[in-house]
Amino acid sequence: MSGDHVGPAATVAARVRHLESLLEQRGLIDPDGLDRALEAFVARASPANGARLVARAWLDDEFCARLLADADTALPELGLSMGGGLQTQRLIVVANTRDIHNVIVCTLCSCYPIALLGPSPTWYKSEAYRSRVVREPREVLREFGFVLDPSVKINVWDASAETRYLVLPLRPAGTEGLPEDALTALVTRNGLIGVAPV
Amino acid sequence: MGRIHDVGGMQGFPAVDHEQEELPFHADWEAHVFALNGALIGRGVYNLDEFRDAVERMPPQEYLASSYYERWLHAITTLLVEKGVLTEEEMLGD
Amino acid sequence: MTEKFSAGDKVRASRVDPPHHTRLPRYVRGAIGTVLNVTGRHPLPDNRARQLAAEPEPVYAVRFAASELFGEGDHTVTIELWESYLRPAELAGAE
Repeated sequence: MSGDHVGPAATVAARVRHLESLLEQRGLIDPDGLDRALEAFVARASPANGARLVARAWLDDEFCARLLADADTALPELGLSMGGGLQTQRLIVVANTRDIHNVIVCTLCSCYPIALLGPSPTWYKSEAYRSRVVREPREVLREFGFVLDPSVKINVWDASAETRYLVLPLRPAGTEGLPEDALTALVTRNGLIGVAPV
Repeated sequence: MGRIHDVGGMQGFPAVDHEQEELPFHADWEAHVFALNGALIGRGVYNLDEFRDAVERMPPQEYLASSYYERWLHAITTLLVEKGVLTEEEMLGD
Repeated sequence: MTEKFSAGDKVRASRVDPPHHTRLPRYVRGAIGTVLNVTGRHPLPDNRARQLAAEPEPVYAVRFAASELFGEGDHTVTIELWESYLRPAELAGAE
């Protein structure tokens, strides 16, 4: 042990390094293994995955129906899964319509379909979002620059660790004839959470 | 009545501060904390529910003043001490 | 294990405020909502967090009107709730 004091005044980074070296000495972690796991995680999990699901659902009505009925069995059709995390996670996809707009939150912590969206943005995990979107979703959407027509009702979904939600946005007008790649590129992470139209 | 993390519907928080683009981790140490938690849970040192519980047990004022991964670090160190894996003194480097 | 509730049932979320980890947030406690469906079967997190025995139980997606939860708003909030957190809405003075 190095004998360096890493008391309260030490930087967080120093405290983490010290903690890792202690755990490594105890044989509880393997730093190379940690690095590899991290790289794999960052490489695999991305909003491009969620976007592909959406583009395919826009183009293929039967896939869309399967996705909405039982997303977990539809994911492997595109080579995707919710796996790789610390626990089983079921996926439920909720579709926006002309009358209904969906938005996702985890008020208690930060549950999020990481495998399909990548790591969650800081704002998703913030008290501001978690407290306000269940109570005043229309105002929160407006803060994201998304003004929803008053005739459209909002369904907010408070996710759990075991069941995570993804929004299927409405296909934008004027996209008829676009190939799947182009459609995929239209879909944003914020649209998949529900704070943007697409 | 309830714990500080249970903020659904609570009033008084500000407008959502949304960055346009951001990296998954703002600093290396955050990535390390993330990976560390996964490794410890994978080894069965504690489970995910215990981890969430440990985050929630932070003193309210500390919870609100901490960043997301600072909360994770707090929970991890709390559990390591409670489970008898490490002592507070060891973590302070004494 | 049979499920206590079915799609369409009106249920009331428990008002219990436990001194331990729970996945029943304050904002739904005591409120009446409608069961949409069963989304899975999982052990109660309240018990798992305390390393107590926990058999899987049904978890329901339950929809609440914003007006019921907050006294205002025209939106709905749907939340995953374990069966242990729910009572039939008809029970008077539900805890």
